[in-house]
Amino acid sequence: MSYRRPGGINYAELDQGNYSDDDSFEDEPQSRSKDDDYSYGTRNPKKKSSNASASSKKRKAEQSIETIRAEVNDTVYSDDDLVELTPDIPSDYVPDAVSKVFGKSDYSYLKLKPDHFSRPIWMSPDGRIILESFSPLAEQAQDFLITIAEPISRPSHIHEYRLTPYSLYAAVSVGLETDDIISVLSRLSKVPVAEKVVEFIKSATISYGKVKLVLKHNRYFVESTQADILQMLLKDEVIGPLRIQSSENTVTSNGLVKSAAPTKGDMVIPGTKKNNESDEKKKDTEDIYASVVGSRNDEDDYDVDAVHSFEIANESVEIVKRRCQDIDYPVLEEYDFRNDARNPDLEIDLKPSTQIRPYQEKSLSKMFGNGRARSGIIVLPCGAGKTLVGITAACTIRKSVIVLCTSSVSVMQWRQQFLQWCTIQPENVAVFTSENKEMFTSESGLVVSTYSMVANTRNRSHDSQKVMDFLRGREWGFIILDEVHVVPAAMFRRVVTTIAAHAKLGLTATLVREDDKIHDLNFLIGPKLYEANWMDLAQKGHIANVQCAEVWCPMTSEFYQEYLKESARKRMLLYIMNPTKFQACQFLIHYHEKRGDKIIVFSDNVYALQEYALKLGKPFIYGSTPQQERMQILSNFQHNDQINTIFLSKVGDTSIDLPEATCLIQISSHYGSRRQEAQRLGRILRAKRRNDEGFNAFFYSLVSKDTQEMYYSTKRQAFLVDQGYAFKVITHLSGMEQLPDLAYSSPRERRELLQQVLLKNEDAAGLEIGDDVDTNFISNDTRMKLENANASRTTGSLAGLAGGEDMAYIEYSKNKNKELKEHHPLIHQMYYKKQQKK
Amino acid sequence: MSSSNLFKATVNEYLEGLPQPVQSKLYEAPATCLAIFRLLTPMAKFYIMTMLFNDRPVALRDLDRWCKPHAKKLQFDSLKRLTSLHLIEEDRGGNHIRLNPTFRQNFRNCLTGSQQSNAFGNLCTTTDKHRVDISFLDNFASSKWETILHFMVGTEATATPTTSVLSLLKSGGLMEGPGNSPQNLKITNTGFQFLLQDVNAQIWTLLLQYLNLTQELHMDPVDVLNFIFVLGSLELGKSYLVSSLSATQVSMLADLRDYGLVYQRTDSSGRFYPTRLATTLTSDSAALKTPSMAIEQALGASDGGEEQQIDTPTGNQGTVIIETNFKLYAYTNSPLEIAILNLFVHLKSRFTNMVCGQITRESIRSALYNGITADQIIKFLETHAHPQMKLLAKEKLDKKIEFDTSHNINTAGGAPQSKVSGEGNVAQHKLEILPPTVVDQIKLWQLELDRIQTFDGYLFKDFSNQQEFDTLSNYASEVGVLVWSDKIKKKFFVTAEGMTQVAEFANRKFQRNRQ
Repeated sequence: MSYRRPGGINYAELDQGNYSDDDSFEDEPQSRSKDDDYSYGTRNPKKKSSNASASSKKRKAEQSIETIRAEVNDTVYSDDDLVELTPDIPSDYVPDAVSKVFGKSDYSYLKLKPDHFSRPIWMSPDGRIILESFSPLAEQAQDFLITIAEPISRPSHIHEYRLTPYSLYAAVSVGLETDDIISVLSRLSKVPVAEKVVEFIKSATISYGKVKLVLKHNRYFVESTQADILQMLLKDEVIGPLRIQSSENTVTSNGLVKSAAPTKGDMVIPGTKKNNESDEKKKDTEDIYASVVGSRNDEDDYDVDAVHSFEIANESVEIVKRRCQDIDYPVLEEYDFRNDARNPDLEIDLKPSTQIRPYQEKSLSKMFGNGRARSGIIVLPCGAGKTLVGITAACTIRKSVIVLCTSSVSVMQWRQQFLQWCTIQPENVAVFTSENKEMFTSESGLVVSTYSMVANTRNRSHDSQKVMDFLRGREWGFIILDEVHVVPAAMFRRVVTTIAAHAKLGLTATLVREDDKIHDLNFLIGPKLYEANWMDLAQKGHIANVQCAEVWCPMTSEFYQEYLKESARKRMLLYIMNPTKFQACQFLIHYHEKRGDKIIVFSDNVYALQEYALKLGKPFIYGSTPQQERMQILSNFQHNDQINTIFLSKVGDTSIDLPEATCLIQISSHYGSRRQEAQRLGRILRAKRRNDEGFNAFFYSLVSKDTQEMYYSTKRQAFLVDQGYAFKVITHLSGMEQLPDLAYSSPRERRELLQQVLLKNEDAAGLEIGDDVDTNFISNDTRMKLENANASRTTGSLAGLAGGEDMAYIEYSKNKNKELKEHHPLIHQMYYKKQQKK
Repeated sequence: MSSSNLFKATVNEYLEGLPQPVQSKLYEAPATCLAIFRLLTPMAKFYIMTMLFNDRPVALRDLDRWCKPHAKKLQFDSLKRLTSLHLIEEDRGGNHIRLNPTFRQNFRNCLTGSQQSNAFGNLCTTTDKHRVDISFLDNFASSKWETILHFMVGTEATATPTTSVLSLLKSGGLMEGPGNSPQNLKITNTGFQFLLQDVNAQIWTLLLQYLNLTQELHMDPVDVLNFIFVLGSLELGKSYLVSSLSATQVSMLADLRDYGLVYQRTDSSGRFYPTRLATTLTSDSAALKTPSMAIEQALGASDGGEEQQIDTPTGNQGTVIIETNFKLYAYTNSPLEIAILNLFVHLKSRFTNMVCGQITRESIRSALYNGITADQIIKFLETHAHPQMKLLAKEKLDKKIEFDTSHNINTAGGAPQSKVSGEGNVAQHKLEILPPTVVDQIKLWQLELDRIQTFDGYLFKDFSNQQEFDTLSNYASEVGVLVWSDKIKKKFFVTAEGMTQVAEFANRKFQRNRQ
């Protein structure tokens, strides 16, 4: 048996059907797959027994491999033939009657392979990939596709992906080679892969990911497997002079340092040790996959025996990076943390009780694939445990960590999660917010802060300046960037340059923005390393199953009349304050409270938020709610069974962690923002209270019929619909009219409401300006502009202006917030004790 | 309205439009009487049957007692129909009705079996040297019929149908184009709508067109109709004598052969076989196996390959996958099917064995504008759903039912909502092959277009008192002609057809009051 580096899979043997369990101990190190993360010392004692049960599965797998091989591998074409045999439209192709419908997208000239039904994908010449999710090979194909392509839609039967330069960049960065991508694609595809696609893949991958910037022993090296690329860089007028001549190591004739390629070796991602049994199963399917797609991509990593590198000075890193990008050789950043002796280790490890889920493990394995930490972005749905992924990554690197998030509420949540999941000492955890500016004193530690605190360019207080100096003066092993999608590129650049961190991990649920800025992240942080499938996670019970519904609320005729007359901004106020919408909201709250749901109502519009909450007597939180009051309301919502509904403005969109919530009602929203919709849905994905069959969480979007809202609503849902969510349209809520105390049920009340709305300043229609993710990052000037109320002309009767029209100060609606506050601490304590006993 | 009712309605309309002498002549043929009877609504059938063996006229007042008060609309409809077919006649006083005597006689004969021996065609008693079996006939019929359909969607490889078929398609407005060259013909909107119908309805559409054409050629419509109706009562797989047909009917044989309704080996052959297309003409299409379906089954039986079905569903059954994001994938390469899909799907790209497209508001709207209904689209998608869709739907249903039984609750209601289709209160789990959201949305898009409807009709106003208004508007709603009413303003609006009836009722009622 030839020598193989540990971690590599001996595919040749697998192909020959060498699955015997008998010699497993000798074979084990060789045939271990890359995702197999147990360390050498602790080989699982259960192995034998699990093998016994697995053996029947293996037999089955063996058979299926054979059948598939019989059908797939022994094709008349070799893969090389395929590439050549697909020119553009062949001359003998005769378009038929319906061809003109498709225009250029008629690919029926691509001849199906004879065994096409056992292959899962169609590779279209325009870079789109269509996958049959019910194919036996679908799961493996999905793993592969998610690495090389951007998922477009993933509902239940047929998935679509698209090859983009960025996705290929990401694929290369996790170690796939151009030829692998092409050969696996053409093996999976029912139709030959078009020449155009092959060229596209080649052109996109030829320069990407070839050059790595590695921090080793606290010196920066530019590294590549191909010496000629480095030679080319050295000849570059900018980069060339920046090289530092190394004194040690074997310097080869060409002036480069040659060393062994990095391997994953014995690195262990904590929390994955106990997953061997599932690995065992996984391996079977991987075997099939391997035999079908041939060499599994990572094998080639190890065929490259040596890497070449040259050193550059710390100061010139930024220049080299920029230059490399300019000449289309963007650098990948890797951090060889195991060999970093200068930065002190941080005492941090996952608690033994902490278990991470398979998909979290998979995402981390992409990050630590070769034993170094790659910078990049991991995309997981809200509620799927992004925080734990970040924490596990921190526990793997074990250096000083800084976490940046979007609001002070989530700062506290991150801190709490760190203490909950891992062994870090509380004194090593520091928090940097406007209220809290203490730093840790030990030589390594953890800091949690917000983007705006760090990126602030305005004058700082003495305290925060001191902290900033502390942050800036240190070298950080790892930076976790939470909710990366919301932060503008400029702010990111500032953060990234301010804080010297070796590895960067971006976390997000939705890598979509309405502006196309998302691709900036690719170069600021790194490629997307992993993106989970929402529906898949929901099916496996990791996140809640949600029933989404769009409730159409007809505008009352009075409101609609005004709607047609008013300006755009005032229109918004009218459709939000539509009495029918209010009634629908009231009805849904009533219905779900009766079912025992905990309800969050979202409104972007603060005026509406207050109106609704006061009228319905529910507590609410918006930008100007003080921190103290916020915490109180949130904890009441979590523990007090009298408070089942809260109203949140945009501040609740991200990061507020309310696992209790099972129902969400959205009354107003930020135009057509797909991201907001997904983030809000994320608020109830944690709900696992009734995680049985059937739906266990509800998402309602209330939309005023025949208004602009309908249009925005469709746009907003696009992302979720592509993830496989179905929005049911409800045109009529049965039983709404019978609800006792239904608000605005008489025409008089409705007229009064209309008057009130019409008297409102236009600015009331605006979105909230305050402490939240979107507006936090606007420039000072715009903020001033937005906050200054403009004088505006309104029409109204003289009597109305004098207060003669139904205008009298009577407090009809009491603020529930105040009631909550008035609990005496003692009563509070006793009350909750009683509650718990119950 | 299901498509089987649709074709009945169109046939009936045609029959009603015939002049009375033609109708009376029609009723002389027992086979025609039977066929016309079969095409009637259940209520009308009931009236015929009760009066058939009753020689005395029936009082109108008695008729009212035969059905429950809430069914007045149905009664009104069926009586109207029967009258316009001249199957019932009023006596001079206007108080009694009786059956058309010719019809009564012939229909009685037909039921009791005392009709002339050749009324239902003359069976060939001698054995045929070139005997054909039923599967041959099915093949023949479907290939003929599909040639026409393929020609309509413009499939290149198929043969051009005969000129008689072409002129039929043209005169029926199904295809249009300059000149007589078949290459110039292009399908029209009506043609597209035609494609979505089931075979039976399609055949009737063509036959009615054929009837119009024969009138121009001065053929006797009674002869033609009789023959068509006789065909409907022939037996599949048996051969019939050409010699017993009239000259007109013999000349029709060639045309019917082109449509695939009858099989005749050569022009001079003395016998003909009706195909399945012909024998099911007047029966409910529910009982009908479309020729392609029959072939499908035959193929499936011989293959017996279930595993093959998952990846390569053959033929035109079970090929379409529709996702919750309104994307549609159809495993097909048939231009016919692609053309049909193109009616309501924005098709995007095509591979050798699959097309993908997207259902959008615009694509559905354009289909709706072409006269295709949302129900037709949904029905089409449902019947053509891919086995995987059915599998998933089944799994979901099982899960829901299991969940309900294990928790002893009914979650079918789910969130508080009323379905667009508006069902009863007791929610029940149904097999939902298509994503319910897509179904709802398609229906909603149709509703969107129906927000303003126009009716021709008459406004009743200026009532002297509330009671007068109530009696009259109640009557109008009972007979189903009321479109709108306002109690306070004492006004109501009835359809154009209902006008005379309401007016008559008003005259009768209020004259009596005044007397």
